[in-house]
Amino acid sequence: MRDSIGRVVGVLLIVFLIGFTGACSKKQVPSQPGMSGAPGAFGPGAGGPGGMDDAKWRELGITTEAEKREFLDRAQAFENQDIYFDYDAYTLTQPAQRVLDEKLAFLKRYPKVRVTVEGHCDERGTTEYNMALGERRANSAYQYLANAGLQGVKLTSISYGKERPIATGHDEASWAKNRRAHFAINY
Amino acid sequence: MLVCRNSSKILFLALLGFAFAVCFIGQADAEPIEVTLNKPNIQKIPIAVPEFKYMSSEQTQFARDMAQTLANDLDFSGVFRPLDPKGFVEDPQTMGLNAPEIQFPNWKRIGADYLVRGSYQVQGSSVKMEGRLFDVVGQRMIKGKAYDGDIRNWRSMVHDLADEILLALTGERGVFATKIAYVQSTGNGKEIYYCDFDGSNPVQVTRDNSIALSPNWNREMTQLAYVSYKDGAPKVYSANVQTGAQTLICNYPGTNISPAWRPGRSELAVTMTKDGNPDIFLVSSSGQVLQKLVHGWSINVSPDWSPDGRKLAYVSNESGSPQVYVLDVGSGQKKRITFSGNYNTSPAWSPKGDWIAYSGVSGGNHNIFITRAEGGETKQLTSGEGNNESPTWSPDGRMIAFSSTRQGGPAIWALLVDGTGVKRLTRQGGSQELPDWSARLSR
Repeated sequence: MRDSIGRVVGVLLIVFLIGFTGACSKKQVPSQPGMSGAPGAFGPGAGGPGGMDDAKWRELGITTEAEKREFLDRAQAFENQDIYFDYDAYTLTQPAQRVLDEKLAFLKRYPKVRVTVEGHCDERGTTEYNMALGERRANSAYQYLANAGLQGVKLTSISYGKERPIATGHDEASWAKNRRAHFAINY
Repeated sequence: MLVCRNSSKILFLALLGFAFAVCFIGQADAEPIEVTLNKPNIQKIPIAVPEFKYMSSEQTQFARDMAQTLANDLDFSGVFRPLDPKGFVEDPQTMGLNAPEIQFPNWKRIGADYLVRGSYQVQGSSVKMEGRLFDVVGQRMIKGKAYDGDIRNWRSMVHDLADEILLALTGERGVFATKIAYVQSTGNGKEIYYCDFDGSNPVQVTRDNSIALSPNWNREMTQLAYVSYKDGAPKVYSANVQTGAQTLICNYPGTNISPAWRPGRSELAVTMTKDGNPDIFLVSSSGQVLQKLVHGWSINVSPDWSPDGRKLAYVSNESGSPQVYVLDVGSGQKKRITFSGNYNTSPAWSPKGDWIAYSGVSGGNHNIFITRAEGGETKQLTSGEGNNESPTWSPDGRMIAFSSTRQGGPAIWALLVDGTGVKRLTRQGGSQELPDWSARLSR
């Protein structure tokens, strides 16, 4: 009455292959332009103001030390001032339009700069929806600038969704700071 | 009986840690037990899993580890109630392995309907393991299976035994050989990982040193599509799970996000903004646009295919707020299926096609809901405990994994479809989010 015990009818043994991860791509990606403005970002826009050399100054049409100082001051203000959006919205508020008008003044003064408009969202809401919403926000600002008929300014836009919060709290004060479009100069 | 029959599959299974030889031990047929889902308070099956018997004096700690792993698996399934070993009368190291040698009344007395008797023998770096499932009342063996393989694969052998037990008693295998892909936060970025069904054994898939998002398994578990910023803008890539090799799939101007492999085909649904609006496209595995599936002025994201690949659940804000819709790809007909609340996202189709899980804001937080795929009956599965997002079904349809902030930073949790049995799966440090549960490999 013993249970019949079958025999191993086929044996195949594979050595478990370690080193799986060793096959993965280990390519290091350099710092991305336009990832500034957030804690934990990979670094400021490629080069940054410190990376300015004579060729780049010439490209911007800037020669004197005074002009250079003026540019750097105004560029810093340009990058430090974000525009903000309401929850789940991408329409430009009146204050946002006023800030964009200041951006326009800067871009008219320095038409050779390259600018990336970054769209960001607060942590609420889902990753993918926020990616699309962030792009809408970037596009709203982009369109406002582009519609002003800027000559020669190279604008690009990118959405970071909720991946690059500037404020890390979990309250309305932080969320309001994160629902933004950020403007990064690619030197 | 062989586990696998062709070499590429063997290699692949080996990479996922599944490779070992098996054979079935003489068995009788069991009447499958009807397991009703979505029915609260279903009677769980009491089962005894005494320590495995060691047949040699090497590595005796596995006696306990194997029994515990098996009991955990059976408990995880939601079908069984493993009994506390403290109540066991027979000494697992002296009691027999075959029906005539087992004192069934001892096991019946403590309330066990079933008994699993395991044994193992370690020789150097390999292990032979056997497991037998007994019907305590009928005093007979229902199923037995023997394993032979590398000692490092012992856990996979135990998981397979758990699958066999579930198959024998419910007519359907468990999910103990499945994997869950997810996004792991790293120092200053995010990478794609996957882990076992229970959150153990995390394996890093991408090393892009960037932001990686939205992993999505193909049905064969060979590819993980995902989104990465590694080249600046968000683009859709796929990583070969065996080799780690990455393929760029969608590289269109703007945003390329939310990939979803179409079941049974080498195609994906993705959201792309190349035409100025976040629209959902059908693309080939090389990124060639085959069809524009959803378009308009609204945001259209997060496609998820029905199991037959004919319908697509997705999120659109065409009504003014994000809601879940279903598109019949053949007819082009769209139907909104969520109506309660003003933020319903992340649809996930159940493996049998009858339900769609999603994340909806209620009480100020994201919670997990399920609703009938054709619309109608809706059930809320979580409430009052942090944000609960990104639901993904286990391939047997018994469980839903999701990300939750109920204990701090986002981690992967799972619950049974009736809302009970909530458990935390990942404890890796940092945050884990955007889980995607693999299919079951046919073995």
